[in-house]
Amino acid sequence: MTHSDLSDLSGVTAPVATARGLPNAHYVDPQVFAEEREALLFGNWAGVGFAKDIPNEGDAAPIDFLGVPLLAIRDGAGDVRVYQNTCRHRGMILVEEPGNIRGTIRCPYHSWCYGLDGTLRSTPHVGGPGRNLHEDIKRDDLGLVEFPSYVYRDVIFVNVSRKAPPFEEYAAKLLERWREHDRPIYPGGGRSDFVLEVKTNWKLAVENFCESYHLPWIHPGLNTYSRLEDHYHIEEPGAFSGQGTYVYRQLEGDGGEKFPDFEGLSDFWDAGAEYVSFFPNVLFGAQRDHAYAMILMPTGIDQTRELTGIYYAFDPAEQPEKAAMIDRNADLWKGVFEEDIFVVEGMQRGRYGPGFDGGKFSPVMDNPTHLFHAWAADQIQKYRDAR
Amino acid sequence: MAAFDRQDGAAVARLYGAAGDASSDIDEACFLWTHAFVFALEAGLAEAEIYRAKLVAEGRER
Ligand code: FES
Ligand SMILES: [Fe+2]
Repeated sequence: MTHSDLSDLSGVTAPVATARGLPNAHYVDPQVFAEEREALLFGNWAGVGFAKDIPNEGDAAPIDFLGVPLLAIRDGAGDVRVYQNTCRHRGMILVEEPGNIRGTIRCPYHSWCYGLDGTLRSTPHVGGPGRNLHEDIKRDDLGLVEFPSYVYRDVIFVNVSRKAPPFEEYAAKLLERWREHDRPIYPGGGRSDFVLEVKTNWKLAVENFCESYHLPWIHPGLNTYSRLEDHYHIEEPGAFSGQGTYVYRQLEGDGGEKFPDFEGLSDFWDAGAEYVSFFPNVLFGAQRDHAYAMILMPTGIDQTRELTGIYYAFDPAEQPEKAAMIDRNADLWKGVFEEDIFVVEGMQRGRYGPGFDGGKFSPVMDNPTHLFHAWAADQIQKYRDAR
Repeated sequence: MAAFDRQDGAAVARLYGAAGDASSDIDEACFLWTHAFVFALEAGLAEAEIYRAKLVAEGRER
């Protein structure tokens, strides 16, 4: 069986009016899932975790990224580094639990030690008992394997294949679009960090986030002040898609107080807000007074962990009087995301029906969704062609 | 051995270090200093350098 027998992508990249969505195999076939793991998730810059979760020097978090053991660490210079969580000796997993590494990472097997910068610092007894050197053990060549990584809007992005262009090039269009939002962001903490386990293929969560078509039906509460007509498509072929609104309304506290704005935003953002699916697996929200990011961590073909963080223009630790409002905002967003669960799970189950042909897009409402499908199909096709 | 139970790396490092210093056999001493060194390194203790220096002096570490 050649790779192209796995699914026929020819209908997906057609213009939206005539295109069909990705075939069922892309949601239910383990072989295609394995292929997409390489082509979409490892071949690009994927979100794997939040920098806020490793705030201090030496903080380390093991991450299972679809079977690839990663280790995110805050190094001595304050930078986030992502290593393979695998010892260079016998391949033992180095760090099992999140925590702080005070000095070096000591492998639990034979105690080879690595610095936060990945260098191999000691190789006890490697030349025999009490002899820690050997001419064939070249420590300089045996540091931790590091993956290219980049932190944007607190999301730790990793390119496992190492073949994607540098992040700043890969994300250039989004960096440019949201240049004004390049301000410090502070995690809300507490309820602002939440995880939703969803029984769906990760792509369906991307697709659902791209579109505003479902808002009046799935989020009627949201829609009372944000009608369909107030939304516009965001379409950046090959990079991201989503939706924007012209009528963003800030949350108000009991006394009418609001969250402070990010500094230096242009007038557009007074009532504008944008929601972008940044391919492959990160969903971003940008608003005048808070931001959020959701990482779609696939844990199986039909299982996705949605990791969410909400961020502000101020440090919540310095304004404890805002804590209640921060929690209220977190609960509002969580409620919205929970409203989406039954649809992404339902679309997953729908795709086990062999008669489904990928679906028919609305040429008017589904353009951002189709843009994602076309991106995925193109990436997968290139991956197949290269094999 | 309470230090081991507590997983107190600093105390463990010192126990090994002292045992190494007390040993009259250089191979045994280096073995013990190696453990002192590793646990001190893991705990981020400055005295890792002391154990390392002892090992370097014997050509066992760099
Ligand atoms: S496997 Fe890590 S030290 Fe042996
Ligand atoms: Fe939604």
